[in-house]
Amino acid sequence: MGQGMGLDRDAIRPDWAVLIVAVSARGDRAAFAELFAFFAPRIKSFMLRSGESEVQAEELAQEAMLMVWRKAALFDPAGASASAWIFTIARNLRIDAKRRTRRESALVAGDVDDEFHIDEAPLPDARLAETQTEANVRNALAQLPPDQLRVVEMSFFQDRPHAEIADALKIPLGTVKSRLRLAMRRLRSLLGEET
Amino acid sequence: MSIAHHPSEALLAAYGAGRLDAGEHIAIATHLLACAQCRAFVRAVEQAGGSVLAELTPVPLSADALASVEARLQQAPERFSPAKAPPHQKMAGLPRFVQTYPFDEWRSVAPALQARTIRLPHASLARVFLLKAGPGTRLLEHTHSGVEMTCVLEGGFSHKDGHFGPGDFDFGDSSVDHRPLIDDGVDCVCLVAMRGRLDINGILGRLIQPFVRL
Repeated sequence: MGQGMGLDRDAIRPDWAVLIVAVSARGDRAAFAELFAFFAPRIKSFMLRSGESEVQAEELAQEAMLMVWRKAALFDPAGASASAWIFTIARNLRIDAKRRTRRESALVAGDVDDEFHIDEAPLPDARLAETQTEANVRNALAQLPPDQLRVVEMSFFQDRPHAEIADALKIPLGTVKSRLRLAMRRLRSLLGEET
Repeated sequence: MSIAHHPSEALLAAYGAGRLDAGEHIAIATHLLACAQCRAFVRAVEQAGGSVLAELTPVPLSADALASVEARLQQAPERFSPAKAPPHQKMAGLPRFVQTYPFDEWRSVAPALQARTIRLPHASLARVFLLKAGPGTRLLEHTHSGVEMTCVLEGGFSHKDGHFGPGDFDFGDSSVDHRPLIDDGVDCVCLVAMRGRLDINGILGRLIQPFVRL
């Protein structure tokens, strides 16, 4: 967690969306290998932070990249950013893996995707759609004070009750809750939404 | 349709991060179906998740990881895209995946109050049910030992925090003591995800509690 989510704007990176489209359009192995080299180790990191074992984290990272290949055609370059799209794949796989480990579910992978699929009416106004661009979100995140950012980050990766976050950061429980609340409110207002 | 009552940002963030209990996930998804504004916030949370993912310190995979994934690329996907289950229950306002779950029959839980359990395919800390209350009913004064999330599907009710109509989301916990009054004229149907036990305050409540089977 030491690196936090330092938003490294200067890093020159390939355009991930273009690579995903190349995978989808022509099964481009080189593009896939580039995506793999960047995202697989970060997905593994995400799984480890989420409390998965080394073996499970490795397996889930590989599985997630396989999904990236198989689902590439579903990626809409005009919608979510490539990293957000891959995040949702990793998120859903982790939920599915947890259920299967606990033998909670008779169902198979794919159901988690359905559970996040909301048959929505079109957004009432184009401005709302604009707020979803990654640049805006990155800006909004960059504007959060570091202590709020840290609490948000922990809440993303850990199923930890707030009490454990408080413990890890050595701050009172009430502070965790208020920082998280402040950060989310601020994020919402920075995204230009009215509440 | 204007929605006045939304889930907290923290709840929406937990939903987007994939950290919610299965039953509570359903309560939030039901609100999202009605609320474009909260859907946009969840997308923003997912974008934030993407940014966070991209900035994580990488942890190397085994040396042959790419090769072993590449070996699987051409295999037929075994578990992907399962046939979609047909809905068991067509009900406006419920997300499609919820409509594929089995629903129990309506049963009476108290005068003018009926409940219908939704059977979840996954273990969940929260029980999920539909609650139908007759017009003009005043529900008992109650608090919760756990957490209760309610999303209105039809009709409406009021309590001290205001009026709740279709799509509105209400959150109750042990700090909330409310006594909803159902709107006149129509039944009110809500989806409820509830953890813990319902506590009914007051002598009358304690007398009547054995009859409220929730």
